Amino acid sequence: MVEASETTARRARVGRVGVGRALLYLLTAAPLSALWFGLLLAGAIAIPLTAPTPLVVPVLVAYRALVWSGARLEAALVRDLLGVEIEAPLARFGAKGYLGRVRGVVGDPALWREQTFLFLRMVLGGALAVAIASAIGASAWLVALPAMYSSVDFDIGSWHVDRLGRALALVPAGVAGLAVSWFLVVGGARIWPPLARVLLAGGAGTAGSTATAAGEPTPVAHALRRALPFHAAFFVLLNAVLIAVWAFTTAGYFWPEWTLLTLGLLLAIHGWTVLVQGSWLGPRSAATRALRVHAGAAAAIGLFLVCVWAVTTAGYFWPMWPLLGLALLLGGHALTALAATRDRERLTERIDVLTTTRSGAVDAAEAELRRIERDLHDGAQARLVALGMSLGLAEQKLASDPDAALQLLTEARVGAGEALRELRDLARGIHPPILADRGLEPALAALAASAPLRVDVSAHVPERPPAPVETAAYFVAAEALANAAKHAAASHVEIRIYRLADVLTVVVVDDGRGGADPAGSGLSGIRRRVEALDGSLRVVSPPGGPTSVEAVLPCAS
Amino acid sequence: MIAEDLALLRDGLTRLLRDNGFEVVAAVGDGDALVHSVLREEPDVAIVDVRLPPTFRDEGLRAALEARRRRPETAILIVSQYVERSYADELLADGRGGVGYLLKDRIIDVDDFVAAVRRVAAGSTALDPEVVAQLLTRRRHGNPLDRLTPRELEVLALMAEGRSNAGIADALVLTVGAVEKHVASILAKLRLPPSETDHRRVLAVLEYLRSTSD
Repeated sequence: MVEASETTARRARVGRVGVGRALLYLLTAAPLSALWFGLLLAGAIAIPLTAPTPLVVPVLVAYRALVWSGARLEAALVRDLLGVEIEAPLARFGAKGYLGRVRGVVGDPALWREQTFLFLRMVLGGALAVAIASAIGASAWLVALPAMYSSVDFDIGSWHVDRLGRALALVPAGVAGLAVSWFLVVGGARIWPPLARVLLAGGAGTAGSTATAAGEPTPVAHALRRALPFHAAFFVLLNAVLIAVWAFTTAGYFWPEWTLLTLGLLLAIHGWTVLVQGSWLGPRSAATRALRVHAGAAAAIGLFLVCVWAVTTAGYFWPMWPLLGLALLLGGHALTALAATRDRERLTERIDVLTTTRSGAVDAAEAELRRIERDLHDGAQARLVALGMSLGLAEQKLASDPDAALQLLTEARVGAGEALRELRDLARGIHPPILADRGLEPALAALAASAPLRVDVSAHVPERPPAPVETAAYFVAAEALANAAKHAAASHVEIRIYRLADVLTVVVVDDGRGGADPAGSGLSGIRRRVEALDGSLRVVSPPGGPTSVEAVLPCAS
Repeated sequence: MIAEDLALLRDGLTRLLRDNGFEVVAAVGDGDALVHSVLREEPDVAIVDVRLPPTFRDEGLRAALEARRRRPETAILIVSQYVERSYADELLADGRGGVGYLLKDRIIDVDDFVAAVRRVAAGSTALDPEVVAQLLTRRRHGNPLDRLTPRELEVLALMAEGRSNAGIADALVLTVGAVEKHVASILAKLRLPPSETDHRRVLAVLEYLRSTSD
């Protein structure tokens, strides 16, 4: 119920109640388009000019700030006049340094989205504002004609409006024109909220465009597709009317060519955009799609300029300059899109690695927990049960047979000692106490001291790494040492452990017979442990030996 | 006095010691309290758990060493769930007696444990067999220990634990005379000077083992 009434309310606001505000919003495009034209032009001139000098940094920062302010103003207008809540765009700051700042500004997708919105408001919004203002003005004039036909001099072709009847006959045309204007206002106002939501709103827009990159149309694409038939009909109708007027009147210089060309340009860009956004032509990546839209629009604008050149002077080929500019912009876009695609690929790869290592870490932890549970169950728990039984029996026999009771108590004491020893071994296998107490070097020294073969430890760890890294490094050494003693029949093992900057490296080399299986349960267990910390494990063990195990662990603390 | 953070063990240990004729002057739960009580109560021996709050690392050991630095005659018996040779080294580092380092397991054998407490209080040493084992495992080629007979090695291990000749004789079911002969032979083979008291001899043996096993 609540939802339904909300929907009705929104429809009413955009449909009828908000028509005045919608009209106001659409008309603001007229002054603003001049402003945005100046801003975008200034950026397009100042940035390439200063690009080879350090001056480009303040220019870029200032330009970014201006675009951001423009985007905020537009967001406020959409919110206040169209009643659509969108998040105001966030200010962003590039990284430090010359290149860092340039990259931070140029590489900010929000800048490009905001520029796109300002550009659309300039071209589409400006055209709409002019169209709507003229439509309303002309229609109102026609409706008011019966009151003032005598004082104005008005002709339609050879038809001179000098009588009330003729003026009244034109009133329905005026009313129809007003109705068309109303549709234009309502329809035009509907274009902007989805555009603003995607291009201006900081986080939501990005998430939306990424989430829908896989094929589902974005709200903008959807709105654009629905608007295309209306746009085409409007184009055909308007031009038909204008051509009819031209035919009725002078039929001399074919002036409707200008509306044909200008509106045709807009229609061509619109149609191309819908085509590219459609799933049958559109590639999967949103960045590539945007690039194609850009390419098509640039081609259309270029063609438009060439046509303008052709129908006017056809002398000096001036369109080469704007064409050059368009080509440069397109080239820049293609380069950044390429970089973005590469970034995306890197991210995808990273996600793959993280997914694999995370599931590996989860598996390893699971296996470890199961081993601990089994050890507790078969070891200490069983011993405590036996201990309890001995004590119970001793209690029974205390009065009748003190000697037997004493025997049982001794058994109980020995059993308690065994349980303690097993628990201690278990605890050491989970996390050696000396590692937590003293760190890697003493822990490895203790490990070496208790090994049944000769072990030399050389360590250079000036700063203690984070605990998980320490533990992983310790178990790499412990596992390699155990393998050397158990399987490789080694007599001497060398453990080297050193930290250089933020990388901890553990190398264990033995003099055994080699042939270790890196996929064995022990080595794969520590590999998962190491990889979960973004490290890598390398096992080199040719038959005949020697075996070397090397783990590299990043320890950004 | 006792420093142990788990109330269950602290109370058990207190009862065990009282039943065996000791007076427990203080039972505390952390390192600072340990140092403070040692200086105030001046106990004959302090029994200290390695792991104490707030860090639950080797807080107890550090506090015990601190107490011993400020009151050198304090005897320290460290008890722990695990033993590490390097901790024993730190305890023995000043070359004086009156230190012990035992697994908590050993408390179960009450008579042995009580004897160890008395030994430490009297200025001798008590080392856990596991520590001694760690001292004995790492042998290099040409180590003089290779020249000892298996029996002599057993005697050496018991000496290192801090037992007297009578204690060694008890443990190995030998006569005191036989033990004395083994001891003389060991000292000769390791080229250690005979000492007038048991615990000086023990310290010499430990010093020897520590220096050769690195």
